[in-house]
Amino acid sequence: MSGAEKIEVEDRDVSVGTFVAQNEPYFSNVFERLQRSELPRWHMNIWGLLVPWLWASLRGVWLMFWLALAIDILAIVCLMQVVKFTPLLEEALKNPEANTTLIPRYTGWINTYNAMGWILLIGGRFWMGSQANRWYYNQYSRWRIDHAVAHGVVFKRVVIGLVIMAICAPLTTYRATQIRLDERACISQVRTAETVEDLLARYNVDDFASLERSVADEITVLQTAFDRLDGLENPSDAEKAERTQTRRDLRAMTREGEAVAEYQAITPKDRFDCNFIDDFPTLARFDAPPEIRYRRVPDEEARATGDEDATKVIVQESPPVEGRRINIFTYNAEAIDTGINYLRAQYAGIFDAMTNVLRQSLIRVEVAFMQTPWPVVAFLFMALAWAYTNRATTIFVAGSLAFLAAFELWQVAMQTMALVVVATAICVFVGLPVGIWMAKNKLFRWINEPILDVMQTIPSLSYLVPAVAFFGISQPPAVLATVIFAIPPMVKLTALGILQVPESTKEAALAFGASERQLLRKVELPMAIPSIMAGLNQTIMLALSMATISAFIGAAGLGALVTESLGDAQAGKGLLAGIAIALVAMMIDRILRGIRASFSRI
Amino acid sequence: MSDAVVELENVWKIFGERASDAMDAVRQEGIGKPEVLERFGAVVGVKDASFSVAKGEIFCLMGLSGSGKSTLVRHINRLIEPTAGTIRIMGEDIGAMKAEQLRATRADKIGMVFQNMALLPHRSVRDNIGFALELRGMDGYTRAKAADRALETVSLHGYGDRLPSELSGGMQQRVGLARALAADPEILLMDEPFSALDPLIRRNLQDEFLSLSQDVKKTTVFITHDLDEAIRMGDRIGIMKDGEIVQIGTAEDIVTAPADDYVADFVAGISRLKLVSASKIMVSPEKHGPINGDGYPVARPDDDLDTLVGLSTGSEKPVLIKDGDVLVGVVSKDTLLTGLQGGAEA
Repeated sequence: MSGAEKIEVEDRDVSVGTFVAQNEPYFSNVFERLQRSELPRWHMNIWGLLVPWLWASLRGVWLMFWLALAIDILAIVCLMQVVKFTPLLEEALKNPEANTTLIPRYTGWINTYNAMGWILLIGGRFWMGSQANRWYYNQYSRWRIDHAVAHGVVFKRVVIGLVIMAICAPLTTYRATQIRLDERACISQVRTAETVEDLLARYNVDDFASLERSVADEITVLQTAFDRLDGLENPSDAEKAERTQTRRDLRAMTREGEAVAEYQAITPKDRFDCNFIDDFPTLARFDAPPEIRYRRVPDEEARATGDEDATKVIVQESPPVEGRRINIFTYNAEAIDTGINYLRAQYAGIFDAMTNVLRQSLIRVEVAFMQTPWPVVAFLFMALAWAYTNRATTIFVAGSLAFLAAFELWQVAMQTMALVVVATAICVFVGLPVGIWMAKNKLFRWINEPILDVMQTIPSLSYLVPAVAFFGISQPPAVLATVIFAIPPMVKLTALGILQVPESTKEAALAFGASERQLLRKVELPMAIPSIMAGLNQTIMLALSMATISAFIGAAGLGALVTESLGDAQAGKGLLAGIAIALVAMMIDRILRGIRASFSRI
Repeated sequence: MSDAVVELENVWKIFGERASDAMDAVRQEGIGKPEVLERFGAVVGVKDASFSVAKGEIFCLMGLSGSGKSTLVRHINRLIEPTAGTIRIMGEDIGAMKAEQLRATRADKIGMVFQNMALLPHRSVRDNIGFALELRGMDGYTRAKAADRALETVSLHGYGDRLPSELSGGMQQRVGLARALAADPEILLMDEPFSALDPLIRRNLQDEFLSLSQDVKKTTVFITHDLDEAIRMGDRIGIMKDGEIVQIGTAEDIVTAPADDYVADFVAGISRLKLVSASKIMVSPEKHGPINGDGYPVARPDDDLDTLVGLSTGSEKPVLIKDGDVLVGVVSKDTLLTGLQGGAEA
């Protein structure tokens, strides 16, 4: 069947001429010499040497474009330091005796930056010039495989390149010439603007001249009133009070008058600096929301009609402090607080029930671990290690148990174990179905993946705050925080394990008449077991590491010892407890690994 | 064909999000594959395929990789939904079946063997073979019995408790075959079952499958990219190219009368000795001229060229082809040589 196998050749032109579009003889020559490794090191592309970014964008060599731009901007930033420090040096030189430290420092900086800037600029250019044709050749090689790679001479790309440069270069250069801004200056700028806005609204005027006049008038009026009151020989109590009030008003008015002057003194440069070259500007400031508290109280009305245990949520609202303006961050943080308070008050029953379930199950497990005589627990550990792992691991387990026992950490360690067991059990019961659903449903996977990533990356300490807000301080919220921290690997690896089942195997099962449920139970889950076990292992390890942190909100066990010793600055105690945690973790890990290995058939 | 077990009628499969639009365009405007790709971003996988397989027949679908043969065979048990066309299994339209009925049909009536075996790695060989039966809710004991019987048919008795990973490739494919046979289905779909095996084992399995086939008489659709295999195995052969069935016929039909250059190219290297019969190359007695005297070797019209060569080497004279006692043709040495070369029709 020799002749039958026709190789489909796509009708594509891969010649250098089509790729470069212009200046073909030059590039043909260069590319050929490059292929033969005959191109000398010092070979320069003159355009790459002079205007590398323009050349690169014209030819679509974007990596070179960005590199050239970055090097040039870096060089210019260095040179701008010279511009920045030279006036400072001149200023200092006016009074050499007083500035003996500043003068050599400025001189040194100016010289260093100057040299660095020129080296970067010139060296960078030579590098670009010598590399330009080599990179271009690489691009040609890629283009031969994939015609979507940029090729030819396209002026639109130059426009794009120029836009990029216009966005990046001038602002960065300008920033380099400026001395670091005073952060407070920008905040006071925003505040002044707010004050002026309020004043404009209060006097119902729209130009600064009349505003200043109005403010001045007001000040005059207040001043006259104050002078009159102050001049009284024997002021009555009412008059004294009025005088105090007038003085206060006068001061406030004077401040506002100053704010108007200050606002007018803000130059466009100041405004530009605050908005564009430092921190992201404050976009909007809001009136603070009213402070709301929710409380659950007995519902007397309902009780009167016979419902014995009726309760209701009452809302206490204190009006916002006048003139308190806050930024978006604070506004939202306070809104979340309000929301949590509401949930906490409205659904107190549910949270209490959850807390209770957690507490009860935790107590059961703790009883199992702590009230079982220690020889039994130790024996069980040893037996598991013996059955599923090698001798060395068994000895390690024995040593670890001996450590816990000898340092009188046994009960505490068992408490930690109980916490980890409960948390892990919840992780499995929740994580497994969620993982399966994720594997089966693309949309759910798309939604859940970022959530899981966030769960894994949020600092574990921040879980503690909402846990405390909803459930108070005790063991149950510690378990919940641990669950949230430890569940992502369980979910992710379950989903991964199921997704990894080869399409052909699933197809075979379907071809023999499997339903979706049978496919999951008889094919996908069994084949995902190794991955799920790996997830379980990781979950346990994370739960153990969280056990320490959740001690901050009341988790008992080895973690509590660590936090205690942190509070009392007892290094030894903390270290020993830490080692104990590590040993517990390693014991569980090794034994689980052994169990996994002996059950895995694949 | 009245006793057709598998029937495909104008089956189309177009892959892509806008498959149905593309299908309409194909119907109304008759656009070709490149236009479908360009206008709808859709790929034509199967193009207007029709064939039927009679009870007990082995039908080989052959084509190069990418010719759509694996796609087409997956329509028969509806692992892939056709874009258009109907598929009937023993007279029942499989496209109209409800989910439960479809699963029952797949489990009871159709067995499938895959190129990459696709055995379940966590189950023993016996549990793999009993998989279809288990899915139908059969109890463990009966299932094990059936699995052991199937193991015996593929001469692997005693391997029931191994894991698939412990077996060699050839043995794994026997397990795959046993799995397909275990539920005693009417139809066997074999998707390049022997392609991944080395030549000796392949040959061995082909022979075994042929003899097994004689016993169990399963209606088989056999996919292969190897023409030799297709000729060995198939009662009839369908040749696919770019999703289209370009020719259907017996091995002899295809070798002696290729439908187009593509098929001709394909069969060019095939030995015609065992394929072509005397009737295809013989010259009519009138054309040959007078036949005088005795001592002519005699053959029947359906004897193959191999037989003719044997007869012809023993004698100086041309071979007479007689249907009963009637002389229907003559094959001289020249005719025979041209016929062997494949130039008889040219």
